[in-house]
Amino acid sequence: MTSQTKSRWADDEEDAALEAQRKREKELKKKAKAEKQRKLEEEEILRKKNFAGATAASEDGVSAHDEVDAELGRPSKRRRLSPEQDQARVEPASAKPLRFPAPEWGPCRHVDNFEKLNHIEEGSYGWVSRAKEIATGDVVALKKLKMDNAIDGFPVTGLREIQTLMASRHENIVALREVVMGDKLDDVFLVMDFLEHDLKTLQEDMLDGFSPSEIKTLLLQLTSAVEYLHSNWILHRDLKTSNLLMNNRGQMKVADFGMARYYGDPPPKLTQLVVTLWYRAPELLLGAEKYGAEIDLWSVGCIFGELLTKQPLLQGKNEVDQLAKIFELCGIPTEATWPGFKRLPNARSLRLPNTHQTTGAVIRAKFPLLTNAGTALLTSLLSLNPAQRPTASEVLTHPYFKEDPRPKSTAIFPTFPSKAGQEKRRRVASPSAPKRGDAPKIVGDAADFSGIFADRDEEEVGGGFALKLI
Amino acid sequence: MAPEPDVTSLSNPLATVEQLSTSSSQLDGVPPDLENSLRFAGAQLTQAAGILLRLPQDIIAQAIVIFYRFYVGSEGGSFRINALKDVSAASLYMTAKISFVPQSTRSVLNVYAYLTSSTSPLRQPSETSAKPNPESYYLSEGSYQSARATLLQTESILLRALSFITQVTLPHHLALTYLQTLGVLPPTPTVKSTALAARTLAYLNTGLFSPQLLYLTHQPSALAVAAIYLAAREVGVRLTSAEWWEVFDVDREELGFLVVGLGSCEGWIKGEKGRWLGKSCPLTLEELETEL
Repeated sequence: MTSQTKSRWADDEEDAALEAQRKREKELKKKAKAEKQRKLEEEEILRKKNFAGATAASEDGVSAHDEVDAELGRPSKRRRLSPEQDQARVEPASAKPLRFPAPEWGPCRHVDNFEKLNHIEEGSYGWVSRAKEIATGDVVALKKLKMDNAIDGFPVTGLREIQTLMASRHENIVALREVVMGDKLDDVFLVMDFLEHDLKTLQEDMLDGFSPSEIKTLLLQLTSAVEYLHSNWILHRDLKTSNLLMNNRGQMKVADFGMARYYGDPPPKLTQLVVTLWYRAPELLLGAEKYGAEIDLWSVGCIFGELLTKQPLLQGKNEVDQLAKIFELCGIPTEATWPGFKRLPNARSLRLPNTHQTTGAVIRAKFPLLTNAGTALLTSLLSLNPAQRPTASEVLTHPYFKEDPRPKSTAIFPTFPSKAGQEKRRRVASPSAPKRGDAPKIVGDAADFSGIFADRDEEEVGGGFALKLI
Repeated sequence: MAPEPDVTSLSNPLATVEQLSTSSSQLDGVPPDLENSLRFAGAQLTQAAGILLRLPQDIIAQAIVIFYRFYVGSEGGSFRINALKDVSAASLYMTAKISFVPQSTRSVLNVYAYLTSSTSPLRQPSETSAKPNPESYYLSEGSYQSARATLLQTESILLRALSFITQVTLPHHLALTYLQTLGVLPPTPTVKSTALAARTLAYLNTGLFSPQLLYLTHQPSALAVAAIYLAAREVGVRLTSAEWWEVFDVDREELGFLVVGLGSCEGWIKGEKGRWLGKSCPLTLEELETEL
């Protein structure tokens, strides 16, 4: 036994020495190779220069022109064009093929390339801080991925977040610049554009909320991001005001792709445990295993309502309460309005009242200042039946955005002061995205909704007096 | 001017000239021809494991491309440090994880234990039909736990080396769309059109094994066009006489290069089989050290 341990010791030391030796040799070889490459490149440049010189010299008239141009301080156009013109003569009338972007890959850079400035907030899937790239001085947001769910290796949510963010290049989606790593293999940071505000905090700090024209601009930006995602087969699955970032130039960007993933048609079986409770669509609460882009549009509807009232629209305390709040606002689903909803897993234990409520009435009463087109849009986004919700591209062409007041140009959007605490965001009590695990089941008497509309007849009708835009 | 179309979902990141001219393995003293053999063995291992796990071919193909990307360039992985069987397993596990058909670590490791065992069909020349010995590929709980730790660590190393670029766009679905555009895939398939589509996909799958790393040097559209060109010639389907490849943004020179590249795969694979006849290409670190 002991002798074996001893020999192992010796082995290890020898190994380590060998390893170090090998590493040194490799470094040297790498350097030599790089040097060779550099020399080759230099020769290439020299060759090109000579070539350019030769062509310039051969066309005396042109070079004379060039000299005149250079004296006038104008950039010489002819010289750059002449070799291409030669080529064009050899190969006439050839169509110009589209060149595909070919990004490169290499190992992740180290997080030490960034200097941390201050902590911003803790999201559902990681810590975010403001940082400066040392080489360029760019201010960025650094998001550290949470790795605590590492039973299956690198968390699939993190992989999907990186995958979907990398694939999304849109002006209203926060750009992922790169992924950097720390000293350990599980220190992974996403480097993203830094934006000054998030819509939730911004709205809470405002006195009057956004004006109707500003709301239209915000909603259009959000919907065009959602349309881009859906046309690329990406579901966001956690749209909410705290995930919508704003800069000081009236631009909104969708962030936090911690729940995002690719989907397909026919829809694959997906987890229902997605989307922060207040923004979660009824089919998810009822336990649908197959769902699609419609769940994001429900969230868009909730955000629309929240922008109008400065308050989250449906603040349920738990899954059952959330459903109750939804039914209160949107009415009770029936087989006629939502065919097949009774077959959803959690719908079986529901006890629903038999009264028929017209959905428009409640929404109209809750938003007395909204125009007819606006109410129609909100009502359609908050359709209980997912099939009746408009697609993102249908929302973009909705008449609501064409009527006065028109969407406000981002150029004249108000700017908002950054708070003294710099970009540290205040944490207000609000639910966060669900954690991975088993989807909750709604069972028994907990889901008795028969009393929701019981006293409705005795309530005061009408919301007092308010001027309405028609 | 019309806005540039967004074609990122149709394209791939490509290896740079420096990445192709040198590799970490070569710097570690692996001769280039052995390196090619190791790449081929890794691709073959990944393909075989994917079939045993009943994964769709698109996921297997993506895993093979990820495997190649890892070992390319002086800053990439080295065959003497990260064993090809571990990287192959990590590529397949990671690719499946973000797809619609995730696999458990246990299924993946069982399949790799079987394929890398001493009596695995990959190790034996195809002529002998000796049944693999179950004792040689039984994965005990202890070895499962240590293999799992290696798998998960290799996954992280793989992701770091690729700077988390997991996107692989395959030419397969493009090829089918191109065939339809060329009007050679009628709505009711004929014997010839079925054969044409099958040969096109076969060329694309064979191209995955090319020592020229075609999937790392050419965009999916070019691969699709070259496969269609070869398949149409072989099946005897007349395509239009015009320079149709230009419609798909491929020029004659690139097409010519890829036609030769895809066409030479068969000979290369036969050569590889002959080279390792009677012995096995090293799949583990120890085997590689003995080979060197």
